[in-house]
Amino acid sequence: MTGVHIIGVGMTRFGKHPDDDAAGLGAKALLEAISDAGIDPRLIEGAYCGHVFQGMVTGQRILAQVGMAGLPLANVENACSSGATAIREASLAIRAGEHDVVLAVGTEHLTTRFAGALTPDPSDPEAAVGATMPSVYAMRARRYMEEFGMTRRQLAAVAVKNRRHAAANPLAHFRKEITIEEVIESRPIADPLNLLDCSPVTDGSAAAILVSDRMLKRLGNGRAVRLAASTLFTGSVETEPTSMTFEPLTRKTAEAAYEKAGIGPEDVDFAEVHDCFSIAEVLRVEGLGLFPQGGYPAAVERGEADIGGRLPINPSGGLIGKGHPLGGTGVAQVVELVRQLRGEAGERQIEGARVGLAHCRGGKAVGIEGAACTVQVLVK
Amino acid sequence: MVTATDRDTAPVSFRPGEFEILPDGSGRLLGSRCRNCGAHFFPIREACSGCLGTDLETVRFSTTAKLYTFSVVRQSVPAFPVPYVLGYVDVPEGVRIMTQISGIDPEEVKIGMDLELAVEPFGTGDDGETLFGYRFRPVGTEEGK
Repeated sequence: MTGVHIIGVGMTRFGKHPDDDAAGLGAKALLEAISDAGIDPRLIEGAYCGHVFQGMVTGQRILAQVGMAGLPLANVENACSSGATAIREASLAIRAGEHDVVLAVGTEHLTTRFAGALTPDPSDPEAAVGATMPSVYAMRARRYMEEFGMTRRQLAAVAVKNRRHAAANPLAHFRKEITIEEVIESRPIADPLNLLDCSPVTDGSAAAILVSDRMLKRLGNGRAVRLAASTLFTGSVETEPTSMTFEPLTRKTAEAAYEKAGIGPEDVDFAEVHDCFSIAEVLRVEGLGLFPQGGYPAAVERGEADIGGRLPINPSGGLIGKGHPLGGTGVAQVVELVRQLRGEAGERQIEGARVGLAHCRGGKAVGIEGAACTVQVLVK
Repeated sequence: MVTATDRDTAPVSFRPGEFEILPDGSGRLLGSRCRNCGAHFFPIREACSGCLGTDLETVRFSTTAKLYTFSVVRQSVPAFPVPYVLGYVDVPEGVRIMTQISGIDPEEVKIGMDLELAVEPFGTGDDGETLFGYRFRPVGTEEGK
């Protein structure tokens, strides 16, 4: 079976784009990825587009804008994992031998869809009693504090770190550093989470071009990065209440990725993880096995997760700093991995990084631990 | 407790398939029990996710619960005036259910509290009538208190 390599990436600035739309942003990211890959766009044989709230055939609207329609294209929706799922589907099409060059694009114009807290689908029984996404994570944060003694300041330090990283990322939604006090004093959303613990409502798009071994050899692209694993699972149905401070779904998806990539968590040099809220980063890095259960908050305080620390987490700024345009998020994580592994991350470059991991977890369905979880492992 | 004599017509459940209101005005959450392995689910399911059997019966859950975790929600959708307390409670059948917590000052809510189900007004139906839903409140507190 062929390996899969990423030969080109592109990404719009994340933020508010009142004069653009999801298809326009997608087209800009796609054109940048093609230019970055240095290929004739006619080589692209198939495409996947991740988005959540952008309506029918968003991917086709992107391809039409750049004159590339005529390909097999599928739009994929998996909540916050939509873009990551597009990457996975693209990689499967190559591994299956169906195509040699496949595009994955993710896009979202979220500011035209939401102003405040995102809520689950209205048919969800938990939405019917008042669930919002921040409140679900707030409840997990409260339980984590009870079990592991995490302090409010430790939780805030996650957001402070990610905003500091974002300040070094020209494409991030937020470029201003914040303090622990500012997080704690920001507007309460769902106790103990405040506004600055939450990822913002953001517009943005990202794209990646994936190729087979055979095409890589033909193109002779010296900047390619290998996609060593791309895994996806849905949460298992629970037959009894389980801990909400550990993520078996993240662990399962990560273990499958580690096995496919032939690595362990100790080999990971840095990671982009799904920090939709400050507490989410804590749960994710521990679920991934990158830090011990209960140990991450203190590690963040010690600077271990900083760029320059033992294991940098969310060097791009993450969702809290860079922004979270749902469909664009998973692809943008891969863009960051590629740029870091190529040594093209500028001011936020992690020295000597060879293995990067990206994790997305999206959606909520009553009775299962999480709707969709993806892990990508990229190796230089 | 709401009783049928308190009003002209019987109270209407906000989600009849998940929450029923009995003739005496008390409420029960409805779920599934697998006749093969005994696992319980909420809401009602088509098949058991423990043994994948399809021999399920609809059951009424106990009205007591223990609070697993909670949050005071300060920003929400217009349907839910803030602040309100949201929690995950575990019922004795071994099911965790999200619910609002009432009858207590938000500052007094604690993980591990014993709670019981209460029938309370919960939104408005298409015809403008008051619908009734469930909240959990500390054991022994009276509705409206």
